[in-house]
Amino acid sequence: MSEPTGVIHDIGYRHYDGARLGRGHATAALAVHSLRGIFGLGRTARSKIIPFVLVGVMLLPAVVSIAIMALIKQEGMRYTEYAVIMQAVLAIFLASQSPYAVAPDLRFRVLPLYLSRPVTLWDYVGAKLAAMTAAMFLLLAVPLTVLFVGEVVIDLPGDTHTVEYLTSMAGAAGYALLLACLGIAVASFTPRRGLGVASVIALYLLASAVSTVLFGVLESMGDDAAAAWAWLINPFFVVDAAVHVGIFGATPASNVIYPPGAGSLVAGVIMIALIGLSVTALIARYRKAASR
Amino acid sequence: MNGVIAGISYRALLGRRRIWLLILLPLVLVAMATLLNLIGAADERTAVTLMRTFAIGTMLPLLGLIAGTGVIAPEIDDGTIIHLLAKPISRPVIAQTKFAVAASMLALFAAVPTFVAAYLLVNLESGIAYGFALGALVGGIAYAAVFMLLGVLTRHAVTIGIVYALVWEGVVGNFVPGARRFSIQQWAQSIADQVSSSPFFSTEITLGFAVPALLIVTVGAVVWSGQRLRGFSLTGDE
Repeated sequence: MSEPTGVIHDIGYRHYDGARLGRGHATAALAVHSLRGIFGLGRTARSKIIPFVLVGVMLLPAVVSIAIMALIKQEGMRYTEYAVIMQAVLAIFLASQSPYAVAPDLRFRVLPLYLSRPVTLWDYVGAKLAAMTAAMFLLLAVPLTVLFVGEVVIDLPGDTHTVEYLTSMAGAAGYALLLACLGIAVASFTPRRGLGVASVIALYLLASAVSTVLFGVLESMGDDAAAAWAWLINPFFVVDAAVHVGIFGATPASNVIYPPGAGSLVAGVIMIALIGLSVTALIARYRKAASR
Repeated sequence: MNGVIAGISYRALLGRRRIWLLILLPLVLVAMATLLNLIGAADERTAVTLMRTFAIGTMLPLLGLIAGTGVIAPEIDDGTIIHLLAKPISRPVIAQTKFAVAASMLALFAAVPTFVAAYLLVNLESGIAYGFALGALVGGIAYAAVFMLLGVLTRHAVTIGIVYALVWEGVVGNFVPGARRFSIQQWAQSIADQVSSSPFFSTEITLGFAVPALLIVTVGAVVWSGQRLRGFSLTGDE
């Protein structure tokens, strides 16, 4: 019996025998990874600066309001106004962070790699949207909750604004969903981060400036009914009109009068249409990106 | 000035998706002017409002941001700037050429549409059209220089530029009058006010402050960009 020649050495490669968690877990992992990335967690220290500075700025009015309630015993900011007053900060956060969620994957053309796993196109898009929605919700819900806790602790005479707080939280969910869909959809059209940031902020500023100018001009002409419709060009007021005023019957943000009657319903339709349009555009965009 | 670099920069700005954004903004301005004309709101006060809040207040910084960072930031992002820097061309010349490209884009996409929109509303009444076109031109050149410098200094140029344009010039300027002195928009409006004689339009910043400030900021930003490019170190993408 001769010694065997040409042995293939067993160097210990093993198969994976554990449980395969499947599509749902992969999608959830992608969503959590994206959410962490949006806040710069797991990335360099420099990329944490901008999101956390913006979170700090968002908390500022809540802290000031609590201080006002504690020191001079006056009511602070209204919950449902928070997002409208801080809309510039929300828009900057959306613009600066949504390209991070989508641009690198497009730029390095790794989409076919994702899709070679059990994750489908809808899962991928859904995970990205879920991550951005969660990020925007946190950005808005945390200051609102801080403000509410402050109000409960200080306990001013009179009722606690529990209903208003809950309404604003529902509104926060509405803002988060609409803004995330718009932001991700616009950002996904370019693999360049800088251009993505510029596109998102440009669309927000365009909407807000057009709405302000039209409102000013129409009001000075005395056409108040048409002027009221001009607010609905700005997505922030669309959510305020649809969710806060329409569903929960809250008072509109200050200085704002929405069109009476059908106004809230139209705002709701605009909101749903914008979300639907964004998701359709996203799916079309990623179909194309995946086939390259 | 270097023709080849100018050609490359023009292609980078015009050949990609950036061009759609550069077209969209002035298009909306002209569309707004047409719409206001149609609903019969075309008077001097409307024209001044549209020019101030839209042309100078919104469109100009955005175009400055897109063109100013667009001439240099994508190359730094890609790392292809290294091919440019490896050539025996003086770095300040590279900066000056790219600045000239960005400034010419702003003249085309900001100053011309501003004139057209104002002309649509009030023709040449009170010099509003000339004034705001000149203001947009000068302000646009200053924005191009500043945002190009930002693009050389940081990878987050666009975000920081937005924060400057929105938060500093917008929000802080509204509450803290002193901040308005250090705002390119306000300087551009001073120039516009000098040319226009409209009673609906007045600015607080004197021309004696605005003109030197614009000059210093523009020249300073271009020179600094050149200096910065001389000692430029490429860091990897995160």
